[in-house]
Amino acid sequence: MSTIPRVSSAVSGEPPHFGSVLAHQPAIAESFFALYGRFWGSDVLAARIKEVARMRNARVTECGFCRNVRFDKALGQGLGEEVVDDITDGYETSAKLTDTEKAVLKFTDALIHDPELLNGDARAALQRHLTPAQIAELGLGVTLFLALAKALITMGLEPEAMDRTVLPTPAVLEAAE
Amino acid sequence: MSAVCAALAADPVLASHYADFRGKTEAALDPALVALVRQAVAAVHGMEPAPEESDLDEGTRTVLAYARRMPFEHTAITDAEAAAVVADLGEAGFVAFSVLAALADAECRAEQVGLAELAGG
Repeated sequence: MSTIPRVSSAVSGEPPHFGSVLAHQPAIAESFFALYGRFWGSDVLAARIKEVARMRNARVTECGFCRNVRFDKALGQGLGEEVVDDITDGYETSAKLTDTEKAVLKFTDALIHDPELLNGDARAALQRHLTPAQIAELGLGVTLFLALAKALITMGLEPEAMDRTVLPTPAVLEAAE
Repeated sequence: MSAVCAALAADPVLASHYADFRGKTEAALDPALVALVRQAVAAVHGMEPAPEESDLDEGTRTVLAYARRMPFEHTAITDAEAAAVVADLGEAGFVAFSVLAALADAECRAEQVGLAELAGG
């Protein structure tokens, strides 16, 4: 996995990172950030649940950038590092993750790794803990997390080293409304 | 319609945003290449036959070979493989293609878990 950018920054004075590279395609960038802001701004599914899925995706896809970023909205909903530490193989036995979060993690693993993991029991658990609207939002989120992590990795945008970084949760820009 | 779009049927605002993102990504590339990339990725997942490549130029075959790596080998793609795609599509094209191939893979996976049915679509 390369940590040498495979594409240059399109923003003068900025190094290559996801935003500055995506700027090569302004229409895609604008549309993506509007979508991502709307997704995180929706409270149909709690930010903590979305972040649990994002953290699992980061670990399975080996996205170091994703793995070290935390969104503040989920932190405010109690997703501390002691919980994040349990979002690893064997999460099924965690005492810190809720049953809902375990069902979400199984769905996440099924989507990003092996659809057979969403067997009858796992499917029933997901549908017991989440409404259809929440599952739709979760599915959108995992789709985006997976796609963006792979795009980021394959464009060589993985950092060589990165501290854990808390960022404001993506939001819909007023001007975009 | 992708499984994600179908799943979002009850949320027209999010569905519209997602369709726009998907559409803008596809619009940045040649429509024939978009179709080939989607088909090549779906073939890796066993969801479609592999595209017929005998009449394609070398650059397009290089791009499709790269796209086929996205579903299960994304961390193994080399700098040389990426450089070959950049040489064919240019930097802006490579960015759009990277998003497209990764999104195509994720959408196949969403379909395989039955996302639309789970969401009541």
